[in-house]
Amino acid sequence: MAQEEGQPTISEITCQEVAQWASAYLDGHVEDERKRQITAHLTGCAGCETYVKQIAMVRDVVALLPNTVEEPSDPHRLRQAFARVRRCSIKEELQ
Amino acid sequence: MNADAIPVTESFSHRMVTSWKPELTQSDVVANEEIVLLARLRQGEEGAFDELVMRHHSALIRMAMGHVADREVAEEVVQDTWLAVIEGLGRFERRSSLRTWVFGIMIHKAKDRGVREKRHLPFSSCVSVDDSDEAVDPSRFHQSGEWTGHWALPPQPWDDQTPEKLLASQQAVNAMNQAIETLPRTLRDVLILRDVEGVDAKEVCENLKITETNLYVRLHRARERVRRAVETYLEGQQSVV
Ligand SMILES: [Zn+2]
Repeated sequence: MAQEEGQPTISEITCQEVAQWASAYLDGHVEDERKRQITAHLTGCAGCETYVKQIAMVRDVVALLPNTVEEPSDPHRLRQAFARVRRCSIKEELQ
Repeated sequence: MNADAIPVTESFSHRMVTSWKPELTQSDVVANEEIVLLARLRQGEEGAFDELVMRHHSALIRMAMGHVADREVAEEVVQDTWLAVIEGLGRFERRSSLRTWVFGIMIHKAKDRGVREKRHLPFSSCVSVDDSDEAVDPSRFHQSGEWTGHWALPPQPWDDQTPEKLLASQQAVNAMNQAIETLPRTLRDVLILRDVEGVDAKEVCENLKITETNLYVRLHRARERVRRAVETYLEGQQSVV
């Protein structure tokens, strides 16, 4: 597989570690040295490159998943409460 | 700040990112919108309140479901949350964002209810999650020899897959939703806040009272479970063809 074309830089960090750090790496939340190691590893490892791409895809797809749009069970009661409380506090502010 | 951190996904994410992230960061936009919305709320504008509810109600329900026994209770928790928001608006001092504040109230109320109803919690919510557990199945890596820690079963590229294609398949959408719904609560909370709602990492930590390291451990475990659901779905597709 990918590791047969292994380069020395790849072994600074294992695939298992890269996989573990993938989300933090994608969000830019890894320290510089770790970032360098991962980036170097990714240039030589197809397996990890695929893995990180898939995690990025999941992150982006989850944001776009159609959700069932929920509505409050009693919107009328909420609106009434809002109107009542705001009326009172606006009155207080005026006094 | 992280523009140079992701060369591997550049070609892929460029299109996605430009479609929903303008020059201003997402959190800047959200912050500006919130200031305007808060001013309207304080003037007692009913439309502004409806807007706030619309914006967060679905995610609040989804998160509450992870803490309490059933849907009905989740709806009560969120209804109570909105009532508390209404009562508290006058005192809200913007030490956190409006969203963080609202979600914080819900989490507090949901936990309270969850504790009282512990016996009835669905199974998935009771499974405790150890942050030190491996996110990715260790059996996919060589466990010994020269290639220890390297892929034994590397992921197969999702060659022609795009987010659009995945979203167009009802089966894929169901698989992903199912994976999210069955996440343990701690994982579901971070995934919904960070990836579904798009809340800043810092704000998520504040909301859930966890460290950034915890956040990424949990977020990654959650994403990995969804990734595996997609992987399984695609493998099923292949065997059909
Ligand atoms: Zn690798």
